[in-house]
Amino acid sequence: MGSIFSQISAVVAMNIRSLGQRFWMSLAMVIASAVVVAILLAFLAMAQGFSKTLESAGADDIAIFTREGSAAELNSVISRDQVNILETAPGVVKDENGPVVSPELYVIVDGIKKSSQTEANIPLRGLDDRGFAMRKNVQITEGRMFTPGTNEMIVGAGILREFDGFALGQEVKFGKVIWKVVGVFTTGGNVFESELWADVKVLQSLYNRGSSYQTARVQMSSANDLEAIRAFVEGDPRLNLDVETESAYFKAQGKSLSYMAYFGWVISSIMALGALAGALNTMYTSVAERAKEIATLRAIGFSSLSAFVGTIVEALVLAAIGGALGSIVAFLLFDGLNASTLGGSFTQVVFAFELTSDLFIQGGIIALFIGFFAGFFPAFRAARLPVIVAFRNAA
Amino acid sequence: MTKLLNILALVAKYGGLLVTLPIWLPFWIIWFIFEKTGINRLIANFMIATGLYLTFKNLFRKPLRLGLTCFAIMIAFLIFSVVTTLKTALNAGVELSADNRLVVVNSINFTQPLPYAYVNKVKAIEGVKDVVHMNWFGGYFQEPSQQIVTMAVDPENYLKVYEEVVIDDEARARWFGNRRGMLIGRALATAFGWKVGDLIPMSSNIFSNREGGHVWEMEVSGIFDGRDEQFGTNFAVFHYKYFMETQTFGGDWVGWLTLTTADPALNEKVAKAIDEEFSNSQAQTDTSTEKAFNKAFIEQIGNIGLMIFGIVFTAFFTILLVVGNTMILAIRERTGEIATLKTLGFSARSIFGMILTESMLLAFIGGFAGLGLAYVMVEGAKTFLAQFLPGLVLSDAVAMQAIGFMVLLGLVTGLVPALNAYRLNIVTAFSRR
Repeated sequence: MGSIFSQISAVVAMNIRSLGQRFWMSLAMVIASAVVVAILLAFLAMAQGFSKTLESAGADDIAIFTREGSAAELNSVISRDQVNILETAPGVVKDENGPVVSPELYVIVDGIKKSSQTEANIPLRGLDDRGFAMRKNVQITEGRMFTPGTNEMIVGAGILREFDGFALGQEVKFGKVIWKVVGVFTTGGNVFESELWADVKVLQSLYNRGSSYQTARVQMSSANDLEAIRAFVEGDPRLNLDVETESAYFKAQGKSLSYMAYFGWVISSIMALGALAGALNTMYTSVAERAKEIATLRAIGFSSLSAFVGTIVEALVLAAIGGALGSIVAFLLFDGLNASTLGGSFTQVVFAFELTSDLFIQGGIIALFIGFFAGFFPAFRAARLPVIVAFRNAA
Repeated sequence: MTKLLNILALVAKYGGLLVTLPIWLPFWIIWFIFEKTGINRLIANFMIATGLYLTFKNLFRKPLRLGLTCFAIMIAFLIFSVVTTLKTALNAGVELSADNRLVVVNSINFTQPLPYAYVNKVKAIEGVKDVVHMNWFGGYFQEPSQQIVTMAVDPENYLKVYEEVVIDDEARARWFGNRRGMLIGRALATAFGWKVGDLIPMSSNIFSNREGGHVWEMEVSGIFDGRDEQFGTNFAVFHYKYFMETQTFGGDWVGWLTLTTADPALNEKVAKAIDEEFSNSQAQTDTSTEKAFNKAFIEQIGNIGLMIFGIVFTAFFTILLVVGNTMILAIRERTGEIATLKTLGFSARSIFGMILTESMLLAFIGGFAGLGLAYVMVEGAKTFLAQFLPGLVLSDAVAMQAIGFMVLLGLVTGLVPALNAYRLNIVTAFSRR
């Protein structure tokens, strides 16, 4: 058995070292596999970055109420009366100022996107101190919080990155109303950073909403309280509301770009087939060119298994080099890339592409898949090559 | 050990045939048909007569390589055609927008409403032909996830402004006369199996009905088609009056206005006149051409769209590069043969032509296979995707672009080896061996 392994390693080493002689063909295979991997990673990183941005926004111990069937904050309507009833629900945390409930408004305004200089939808959220404090990791990085009752607003860091005209101290005009940017906030990179925040009472009057709201967030003592709250809502006919944890809500919203991951897999699988065809060409040529070598080895006593393994390893090495190259290119080009697109609530979500280690593994799998199949069939040709024919053909 | 290898070899042989089935089967079927019908011999005679015989012999000398190369080219053109078609469908709103149509929205954002009184004020402005007001209904059927683009409109003016909505006079009269009537697009009718006269409970994810709940009962008055194949028919329109009288918010307001001008040359003047008219009102307006409005909307999807197409086109060109490299190397292998042909008296020019023809043929076989497959896929996905991405058509423009790239591929990959062969010196070629 030992001799088989030494035979195999000798043939593998020989094949690898002679790659330079077949440079152009080998390069074709490396590039083909690199492109497939880079493209797969680009799509996966996009989907991953988007869903992370939304998913990380939700908390398990916050319940969010929307009008039943409305599916997104933008569409929902909740009356003041309904909010009053909600405050009496079981499981709602109370502090010295009463129940911790944040009724909010969510309207859309125009902003100028830096990348295209065109108008795009930005959410202007109306909330109060309670709503502000309810967000995880929220922090004012510059300026200060808006003063309730005034036309002041604070802007998310994501908006600053992707849109013009919202710098600290600047005045912004929406319709006839002039707003003043008094602060910049971060929430640890999640979707709330793609929003503008202002006082909910001011928004109600400026946007003719009377005393109505769109959504309400409720602080629960723990995620287990959700069932009690849901039973409470279902038991009261005045509450035609849907309730779920904030994390479940944003998880569903984050799915809206998951088709990108599917699209990426479909496109790169089809491309992998094309790359496989190219790689098979490379490997068949490689075997044909080395027919004489292989026959010589066989004639002096090397087993056909060593010829088989030698060829398959050559293909795997080429594909792996390509995969590594593709991963590096994808990482350099796409990791951390800022982008913004329309999210489920019809507004811009600012997010960054994110390449994580599990994505690289997926890229590696597709590269090795190409390498294995590209090597497998030519390897059999190498192993089964009749020695005499090889000498005759190669002469 | 050898026994195991023998069994594996058997598996590999048939497994390999099976795995590569999609690659060789189409070519084999064509070949089989040719063989049986005698077209084969006809082609062979034709080739001999035209001097293309050697080209064909060269092309088919290594069937496996031919198959693999054609397959790679096919994949490249398949991806190109499908993705370009997707892109065209996304941009259809921009391409199909009428020259003389303007959109008036609230200057805060198009999701903010306008007072109803604006309709008549806009209509009175000089140069305005017809005006229709529309409201977004946020419609869905049964499940909130089954969203349906539904708008409440002023029926008569809607059909005046949107001339591409094609409907017969009978359905038109039926819709105008039925307060609960709704017009639905062909794609919508197909997707849900709705017929004229069906009563449909339409839900809204925004509005509530005064009678309780969020459901409005509507009757299908007619099914409209698009004047253009690319016009998406995946939406429904119904009476504004019915909507306003039954929803709980009340008030007289409209979502946005769409109007036609008497002449596209007046667009700018009319847009300015409208925005000036309301500049001191509570709700200011922002008027733009339909084309600009649709374009801005697509821009909202943003650089993502741009990136996808950028990525895919890079892929397309890389595949061509890789395949081209293979093709060039395949011809380089034949240096000795070319020298022999030259020795036998073939002119440099005819050899040049032979090699260029070969690479062109290769590009066309693979390219047209990809284009054809893309056509089949787009046609197959058309009805399935009509709900989400209407107007999916593999247009002539896309096909022409693809053919252009095939010619380019054939030229680029054929020109270098053909020139080398043209210049090849017999003596050096033979001494090199």
